[in-house]
Amino acid sequence: MRPAAASVVLGLALAVGAPTAWVLTRPEAAAGVPVEQALPAPAPEAGAGRAPATPVVTARDAAPRAPRSVVPPVRVSVPSLGVDAPVDAVGIAPDGQMELPQAVSRVGWYRFGPAPGAAGSAVLAGHVDDQEQGPGALLRLRDAAVGDELTVTDAAGTGTRWRVVSREAITKQSLPVDRIFARDGAPRLTLITCGGPFLPEYRSYRDNVVVVAEPVR
Amino acid sequence: MSTLRSFGNAAGAAAVLGGLVLVASPATAADTATVSVLHGVPDTPVDVYANGERLIDDFQPGTLTDPLTLPAGAYDLALFPADAPDGSGEPLLQADDVAVPAGANATVVAHLSETGSPTLTPFVNDTSAVPAGQARATVRHVAAAPAVDVRAGGTVVVSAVTNPNEATLTVPAGTVSADVVLAGTDTVAIGPADLPLAEGTSTVVYAWGSQEAGYDLAVQTISGGHSSPSGVPGGSAGLADDSSALPMVAALSVAGLAVAGAGAARLARTRG
Repeated sequence: MRPAAASVVLGLALAVGAPTAWVLTRPEAAAGVPVEQALPAPAPEAGAGRAPATPVVTARDAAPRAPRSVVPPVRVSVPSLGVDAPVDAVGIAPDGQMELPQAVSRVGWYRFGPAPGAAGSAVLAGHVDDQEQGPGALLRLRDAAVGDELTVTDAAGTGTRWRVVSREAITKQSLPVDRIFARDGAPRLTLITCGGPFLPEYRSYRDNVVVVAEPVR
Repeated sequence: MSTLRSFGNAAGAAAVLGGLVLVASPATAADTATVSVLHGVPDTPVDVYANGERLIDDFQPGTLTDPLTLPAGAYDLALFPADAPDGSGEPLLQADDVAVPAGANATVVAHLSETGSPTLTPFVNDTSAVPAGQARATVRHVAAAPAVDVRAGGTVVVSAVTNPNEATLTVPAGTVSADVVLAGTDTVAIGPADLPLAEGTSTVVYAWGSQEAGYDLAVQTISGGHSSPSGVPGGSAGLADDSSALPMVAALSVAGLAVAGAGAARLARTRG
């Protein structure tokens, strides 16, 4: 009689306990403020839409000029996550998505957007993993916690420090690309990789893991 | 300077009016318009007046104003020689009741016609978005010259543009080496010059000047037409799959239920 009662208790404990423990121990899907809140649009300038009757006019030489050169980032590190990866300047893939370095050990910087520290959201993104190459540089991005520090080093050797304010897993279809790739607003560093459930039929993940960091002053 | 007065007031006003009225757009229902002014008449500094008030002082050939945000409305424009006492004498160029509709983005160019007489031409600027990674390049012929071709890297990309017309291309962003040749020939009139076509901008290139004064390029860059990438790819192996533990958890839970069920059945039997 006793073993039978014990197996009822133990069995129920296992039936309830296993999912409970799984839910409690797996990483939270989000931390800190929502991504869209961490990437605010700039407030409209006071008096915008109204123009003085006779504006002050400035004129400049219209001869062709060399473009302003930007110092690109070349390395990103997140010591708390064991991330330390070289950064390549990248553009647009033929399918219209952001281009990423082929090597999953490298991270791409979206060169048409701001450089880290300029107005807007500087985007660094990398593959989370690859069938042949294995884990990627940003595999552990999903474990980032609010307050984690990042360092970005540019081609001139200057390092800038950032602190995580937001982490969120966002379904790829609803990624707020206009804020994530914004060229206005306060300087932000946005790191992106893949995450969430893996969908084998698409050989792809359902979500993007997005981490937003603010400059450390 | 009397030849400069050959610009017909009525005709000029009509031309400016016609050009600008077209850009009134319900999508940009602000009560202001954005207007830039380019000076492309060689060797002739001017003062620009709008509604009798001086808008631009000592405006030099080859210079471009920053975009002006003007209240929508009608403007009387006049260009006087820069060395004349302010607001006095006969204007070199004049256009009355120029309609500047709300939401418009335009560039008014003072330049020479194909035959060399000064004129004012308003151009409507396309500020619509370009695809991510691309730039819009517009070429405007405002020089005292016949039709021209524009070449990029030695290849003709725009052919037979005449004064005062334009041609527009959407191209991958980057710097191109461009020159201007007489249409259908290899006779280089301007350049080659390196033109940065920044991503997400409209870059407007003006060919201006005259045979006597020389030909040159002027560049106007209008930013804010960028698009975002459609998304961010990132992974093909499933190593970071956060649902991989789910089947195991479910199996454990089911096993627990089975054990509990078996125990309960045995309990029931022994009682019965």
